[in-house]
Amino acid sequence: MPGDATARPYERGPYRPVPQVDTATAVRRAEQGTVAAAARGLTKTYGLGDVRVPALRGVDLDLPRGRFTAIMGPSGSGKSTLMHCLAGLDRPDGGTVAVAGIELTSLDDDALTIFRREHVGFVFQAFNLLPMLTAAENILLPLELGGQRVDDAARERARMLAEILGVADRLGHRPAELSGGQQQRVAIARALITRPDLLFADEPTGNLDSATSTEVLDHLRRSAHELGQTVVMVTHDRDAAAYADHVVTMRDGRIV
Amino acid sequence: MRTVFLASLRTHLRRHVAAVVAVATAVAFVVVVGVLTAGARAALIERLGAPYRNADLVVSPVGWPASHMKPEDVIAFAERLGENASAIGRASLPLRAGGRRIPEAGVGPISTVERWRWQPLESGRFAVRGGEAVADVHFALANDVSIGDRLVIGEGAAAAAVRVVGLVESPSPPAQADVYVTWPQLLRWRDRLHLGSVAVRGEAGTLPPGGKAQSPEAFAEERLTAVQNQVDSVGVMLLLFAGVAVFVAAVVVTNTFAILFAQRLRDFALLRCVGATRRQVARSVRLEAAAVGTFASLAGAVAGAALGYGLIAAIDLVAPDTPVVAAAPPPSWLLGGVAVGLVVTVAAAWSPTRRVLRVSPLAALRPDVAAGPRTGVGRARAALAVLPAAAGFALLAAAVMQHGVALMLAGGGALFAGVLLLGPVLVPRLIRLPIGLFGPTGRLAAENAARNPRRTATTAAALLVGVTLTTAALTGMATWRAALDEHIGGRHPIDLALTSAKGPVGADVLDRVRRTPGVERAIAVPGAVARVSGLDGPFPVVAAPAAAEVARDGGAFAQVEPGTIKIDFEAFRSGPGLRPGEQVTVRVGERQARLRVAAGSGWGPAGVVAPQTLAALTGTPEPHAVWVRAAPGADPARLGGDLDELADPIGATIENGLRTWESLDRQLSVLSWSVLGLLAVAIVIALIGVANTLGLSVLERVREHALLRALGLTRAGLRRTLAIEALLLSATATLLGTVLGVGFAWSGYETVIRPALREAAFHIPWPSLGAVVLATTLAGLLAAVLPARRAARVTPAAGLSFD
Ligand SMILES: Nc1ncnc2c1ncn2[C@@H]1O[C@H](COP(=O)(O)OP(=O)(O)OP(=O)(O)O)[C@@H](O)[C@H]1O
Ligand SMILES: [Mg+2]
Repeated sequence: MPGDATARPYERGPYRPVPQVDTATAVRRAEQGTVAAAARGLTKTYGLGDVRVPALRGVDLDLPRGRFTAIMGPSGSGKSTLMHCLAGLDRPDGGTVAVAGIELTSLDDDALTIFRREHVGFVFQAFNLLPMLTAAENILLPLELGGQRVDDAARERARMLAEILGVADRLGHRPAELSGGQQQRVAIARALITRPDLLFADEPTGNLDSATSTEVLDHLRRSAHELGQTVVMVTHDRDAAAYADHVVTMRDGRIV
Repeated sequence: MRTVFLASLRTHLRRHVAAVVAVATAVAFVVVVGVLTAGARAALIERLGAPYRNADLVVSPVGWPASHMKPEDVIAFAERLGENASAIGRASLPLRAGGRRIPEAGVGPISTVERWRWQPLESGRFAVRGGEAVADVHFALANDVSIGDRLVIGEGAAAAAVRVVGLVESPSPPAQADVYVTWPQLLRWRDRLHLGSVAVRGEAGTLPPGGKAQSPEAFAEERLTAVQNQVDSVGVMLLLFAGVAVFVAAVVVTNTFAILFAQRLRDFALLRCVGATRRQVARSVRLEAAAVGTFASLAGAVAGAALGYGLIAAIDLVAPDTPVVAAAPPPSWLLGGVAVGLVVTVAAAWSPTRRVLRVSPLAALRPDVAAGPRTGVGRARAALAVLPAAAGFALLAAAVMQHGVALMLAGGGALFAGVLLLGPVLVPRLIRLPIGLFGPTGRLAAENAARNPRRTATTAAALLVGVTLTTAALTGMATWRAALDEHIGGRHPIDLALTSAKGPVGADVLDRVRRTPGVERAIAVPGAVARVSGLDGPFPVVAAPAAAEVARDGGAFAQVEPGTIKIDFEAFRSGPGLRPGEQVTVRVGERQARLRVAAGSGWGPAGVVAPQTLAALTGTPEPHAVWVRAAPGADPARLGGDLDELADPIGATIENGLRTWESLDRQLSVLSWSVLGLLAVAIVIALIGVANTLGLSVLERVREHALLRALGLTRAGLRRTLAIEALLLSATATLLGTVLGVGFAWSGYETVIRPALREAAFHIPWPSLGAVVLATTLAGLLAAVLPARRAARVTPAAGLSFD
């Protein structure tokens, strides 16, 4: 039922590898082109008085569902701030954000936390993984935090994701024992485990060499194209942005 | 480097708070002990010196306390100087007050000259002529003496009647007497007089043989050493506790510095990169520790002095008789306290600093040196730690078998040191035991608590010290108390005994006794009134096969062999005039028996015999005593008074053994509470350490927490995670400490108490131990409140960009 806002675009169920596309993915693909998240008139200012820094000065943005969108712009232009507001990590001073039909600015902290848990996945530039947990534990962490029983199906799905991302043989290792690229791929697996509506990646390749970057970006693109996953990536790297279907450019807190 | 030093001090000031509080608390403890000891000493000197306040010289025996001056010589000396001398001493004389005879009362001189009168007048006036006397207020109170009463001092030809004209305090223990009369009056008993010193004004002239003259201060010092030993031993004991507190503070501070420096390792490495030498970094770091130590020690000294004087004021208010006054702050203690604080802080920073110095400049360029996932624990270290632990076990076992106290102490110390060294291996494992008990947040908490073994172990160690000592003291005191109860139970088997040497005790009296509040159980004891050869007046003889129902010794005292009569010797004011083992004739009406006397105590003026003996003496035994077991917490004086009112009309008497129990109870509970209070200081410091470790770890984990929050952990969930981490840490340390404490107490019992008191049983005070475990664990939880709140306040976005 494309367009039906109440229908969950995906159901939890055993994950099957990419070629045999499951129904959820089929639904997502069908939904490609609709809007996954929308921001209207977003403003955000840091600091007070003389040191006021307007980081967002009225941003309107629609993120197409099932696509890979890149947000580009020079350093300090407000990319990270925008992403934080879209992902429910921070609150804008003004404007609205709607994701999966949910108005984020009306949620309290707990509701926002649960929203993130259920609808959003993250990959950051660095420090993505908890150092005291193994890679597998890190991947399963969002499910655990959601209070779900980590059953064999979930474990199997984690293993599948790890396999797709090429880190299946490192699942028992702790982050300190993984390379930067491996850490990022584990982080992508973790972001995908909950089948989120939106996957945000803030400079996911900032710390990686070009070969590893290519791998990570490729995975992100494949998850959009093959799994129908909506992906938003923040970067100031033109080459990275080239992997995206859409590029949104920011300057001085505005989209240009 | 100056700018770096000042900037880091400013930036990290907040992180030093816990270290400052820990050190300041320990220093304050030391200073409080000092102020109290000085106050007690000053009070003693003041009291001791009171009779010599206006003297220029004090004449006293040369070889005191081994020798003394002859009274006649002292009297002659004092007579020669007249008003310029005041001889201090007393005579022990029998005294009759009203109908009461006191076999030995101290009678001392009171001068008619104002400057020699050291006894402050309480009421009435001073005695100024023969035939007048003043009495010590406590003596007067105890013996029902009031102003206007006539006392007869001495016996036979030396007896003299005096009238009490005033009541005085006698603050100086060496010069203390019960009754004071004028010097000429006192000379009536010159052959019984003992004079220890003479206060002299002006020149002394020729001294009495064996006497020496010194200044009043020197004299007070000399005499003080005797009393002082008590003060000193109390001071040393208090210092022992202060030592524990200082040790715990040192552990906490070491940990603080270790964590702080680990967090700043990148900064240090960066400094080295930009050209700071190893020496410069070391200096900066040590200076920082010294600054923290100085500040904390000074703050602690001020707080300690304030607390000490506050305590003295409070003591003055609650118990004005306690010999302690607000003396000048003792400089040695103040300096000592500050020095200890400073040294402890600087020393505690020493080993963390060494680790800092080993950092290579390159470390700055590697990511995440500080938040490394696991600081490993060398196998060598673990193996090394097993040695003292094993040796400790062996020594303890040897101590238990050979009753060697020194072995026990060495073993206990070694075992404890071993446990502390094993901490980094042991504690994380223990913490992870209950994993999965609290769901995913609990698992995270356990992983967090266990991720940095050394830090966790050190934090736990501080708590471990306090808890081990506390539980050991609690268990030891409970065991000792149980042994004492049993021992005293033998001497005071019956709480209250109502004994009638006249008619039998009616059933109505028994009934009313049973209904008296504070009575738990009461039994009627059958017997008969007898005449016993060697004892004046009628004497009840009873048999009590049912004594076990009320007796504290299980009724053992009442199990008397046939042919024996057991008499409560302490029920007679000056002995019954019989000796144990003697044969006496016991006569009831026409019947009589020859019985052997056995001594006991605790049931009043009645003879206990075997049931068959009683049957031989009377065919119709009737109740002649009621024995009462008091309810726990009953007021002995009140209960005694209530029963007295029942006893009086039928001419019976009351023996109150409960009073002994009560005073014992009071003394022991004062002792236990003091020990607990003193050890609690160490526990509190350790808990500050828990809060500190957690607070610093939280700062370190800002990004992790932000990540968790981004992934969907709620604020409450994050707070819960940290609370569980604190809970796991404090519960582990507390339980381990309790096990160790009880174990140490047991070996102490086996080594020390058992050989002395074969009957004594080991007693584990479960409720108290439970209370300690619960209180400490909950306090650990409380320690998490602030760090958890601070952690939960950070929004995920802010946390993610935190560096
Ligand atoms: N916590 C903060 N306090 C004050 N100012 C902030 C804060 N976070 C961001 N800013 C400011 O807001 C502006 C936008 O920051 P933002 O992090 O969104 O930029 P960005 O586009 O992600 O830059 P970069 O590419 O360097 O990551 C910048 O000028 C920054 O200095
Ligand atoms: Mg950014």
